[in-house]
Amino acid sequence: MNTAAIQSEAQVQSGRLGRLVVARLKPNEDIIDSAEALCASHGISLAVVRGGLGSLIDGELQYLGRSGMQDIHVPGPGVEILSLSGEIAPGASSLQAVLADADGKIFAGRLQRGRNLSFITVELTLQEWLPD
Amino acid sequence: MNPHFEERNGVRVFIHGGQPQQPRLLDCEVPDCEELRVVLPLACNVAQGLLQALEGRRYRSAVGRILCGGAAHLSYHRMVTTTDQQRPYDYGQAVVLDGYITFVSGALTVGRDAHGAPLLHCHAGFIDRDGQQHGGHLVLDRLVVGSEPLVLRLCLFDQVAYQVKPDAETHFNLLHPVFQEAS
Repeated sequence: MNTAAIQSEAQVQSGRLGRLVVARLKPNEDIIDSAEALCASHGISLAVVRGGLGSLIDGELQYLGRSGMQDIHVPGPGVEILSLSGEIAPGASSLQAVLADADGKIFAGRLQRGRNLSFITVELTLQEWLPD
Repeated sequence: MNPHFEERNGVRVFIHGGQPQQPRLLDCEVPDCEELRVVLPLACNVAQGLLQALEGRRYRSAVGRILCGGAAHLSYHRMVTTTDQQRPYDYGQAVVLDGYITFVSGALTVGRDAHGAPLLHCHAGFIDRDGQQHGGHLVLDRLVVGSEPLVLRLCLFDQVAYQVKPDAETHFNLLHPVFQEAS
């Protein structure tokens, strides 16, 4: 765990949602890297995922266990994205997904950067967060 | 080109039958969106109910989520291998479920078909009455709400559509973002 990131007080930020970036990822593109590239090209410093739907070659998730980050491998190809949520910030994005393998079995966890590549397509819609 | 797997930086990639085209990310910007909460009642056909809820609204496409609810009947597909050399993976035969079905997640895109009519694309996860988990590509015109209302959240946008178009790389018809004024 990154103890430097722990804060003693809650942070509350008011603001509103702004522009939408409506996108398609072609095959072999990573979701987190693509989302950050989309934000960079539209001048967006923080965004939320509004829509994420498609398939992955393989799913590579993780979670924090007793002995550090634990990997969850979802074998593909044709791993379906059932839900995608989280925030996009340059180099510090955190996305969570619910995935299904080709047997319809469900997996959930945090996406690993650079390891969740689009198989056929991913429809990804981001919306910028504009703090007051 | 014969479709095949390769490995790049320790991650498996898939080379499709068609030539890869640049750019690899297609995107359009929309200034804002309209938010909708849709609650579909028991026995409602979800495709019909959703399209009826959107009728008359000024939008080109929408994205959203299944927030909660249940189904009495549904049909979904999973990816299978095929004997087609150019398209070696495709959706298999429908898996049909009846009875008490509880949704646990779901994502939805409302795109446009070649004639401009709304086209629904949905992936969802759910649990059947025996406690078995399922997830895959859901056919909304064969989804009937049951047990409890189905609650959806949608983000509608104008000027840009997820338009279905043939994709030369994968040989699938896929949704692509394109600039398009609402009619």
